[in-house]
Amino acid sequence: MHRLLSLFILLAGIFANASVHAADAPPSITTADDLGPVIEQPIEFPHNRHAGLHNPADDADPSKPATGGMEINCMYCHTYARRSMVSGIPPLRKCIGCHQSLPSVRETPRIKKLFEYWDAQKAIPWKKVHDLPDFVRFNHERHIQRFVFAQGKPVQEACGYCHGDVKTMTVARRQKPLSMGWCVSCHEKDHPVDATGTKTSHGPNDCWQCHK
Amino acid sequence: MSVSNMLENWKNFRHMHPVDDAPHAEYKWAMSIDLDACTGCNACTVACYAENNLPVVGKDKFNAGQQMHWMRIERYWDEDKRDFPDQGAQFLPMMCQHCEAAPCETVCPAGATNHTADGLNSQVYNRCIGSRYCSANCPFKVRYFNWYDYPTTDNVWPAEMTEQLNPDVTVRGKGVMEKCTFCVQRLERAKNNARTEGRLVKDGEVQTACQQACPTNAISFGNLVEPESKVAKQWAHQQVELAREGQAKDEQEGGSKLRGYRIFEELRAYPSVMYLERVRESAI
Repeated sequence: MHRLLSLFILLAGIFANASVHAADAPPSITTADDLGPVIEQPIEFPHNRHAGLHNPADDADPSKPATGGMEINCMYCHTYARRSMVSGIPPLRKCIGCHQSLPSVRETPRIKKLFEYWDAQKAIPWKKVHDLPDFVRFNHERHIQRFVFAQGKPVQEACGYCHGDVKTMTVARRQKPLSMGWCVSCHEKDHPVDATGTKTSHGPNDCWQCHK
Repeated sequence: MSVSNMLENWKNFRHMHPVDDAPHAEYKWAMSIDLDACTGCNACTVACYAENNLPVVGKDKFNAGQQMHWMRIERYWDEDKRDFPDQGAQFLPMMCQHCEAAPCETVCPAGATNHTADGLNSQVYNRCIGSRYCSANCPFKVRYFNWYDYPTTDNVWPAEMTEQLNPDVTVRGKGVMEKCTFCVQRLERAKNNARTEGRLVKDGEVQTACQQACPTNAISFGNLVEPESKVAKQWAHQQVELAREGQAKDEQEGGSKLRGYRIFEELRAYPSVMYLERVRESAI
């Protein structure tokens, strides 16, 4: 009897303890050290110049040459994002495709380096910035189809959910934690399914969506 | 996970599958295997090895019971005192039965094996701590444990052979449990393509590796929720219902002539694989 009583007290204690913790506010999803490491790329690719916003007013002002972005769609270069698991790093050919017709920047250091690779016919050894563990399979296609094509969100916004505001960066840097809890925090929310309807649904939450 | 969250959402953590509380919405993957068509050729097993990055362990480890075949061909013999007993061989392809009330799920201390919304019994390798409790509790003995680090120390896939590994499937390391997934990577791809086109997966659009390799089409696979799918028709025709531990047809007096049955149905695991009994020579 004495034993039973002590067991009961122990159990009650555990539950009381657990419920105290349960009442605490949930920890915030993002923290300061979510920012990934600075990764040195073979060529310091200016995302801001390519994808940044275009301000025609700045064009007339020769003192501000770099503020005018090109507003190139993310998927012009990361072309597989809409139809594949991975978004893809563009091949060198893609860079040259535009840059062979852009004599105005041909003699700048970065473009010179680019053409060195091209002349040597060597791929640029880009380094991975958003590197998930091998047991995680993130599907780009699903997210782009859902948010860009079904729901009509701007591409940069949809990509920015996970990649941050890339159009303001030069070399991309990881902005979000990309942890499982962070993924789930979005998957638990109800999102509209299409641009006009009122129907909402949340992302799948079973393990086999990403771990298989 | 907080206790209050767990108590509030208790039904999300423990379903009384498959009865009443949460019927399958869009998909319930199921299989039926016609043992009369099965010739025991092992093509399904080989296809499974190729599709799911299974290590070939070799004779010694096989004899020690450490084989990793997610799909195995079990052999049984007709004991009717025939002159050539070999003729009485029967084959039964055995793989994870994806039970609706899976005994393995309830005992996992790490929550590494769960039930998905599509009625699959999932095994999450990065969550598994290798307690092997699930395997002990599986009535079908279809869970396999990685006793060795096959990719590295055992060198199952020498350098040039890593090219043949399926990139959609994890290469498992030492100390995790694994089992048939109903080729979940193919299911997910089919669902993904269907969702992009704004529809559901059509019957026959997705095949498991074993089904694809079967030369006699003994294996059919599909969505049990869709009444027009081949599998649903077969289940209905054989009067096998998912959520029963004993089928009504078997309780009829004199027995039914239908061949459909599920293994260990009486254990109330509600397996998702229906077998069609072999028409035996001795029974005719």
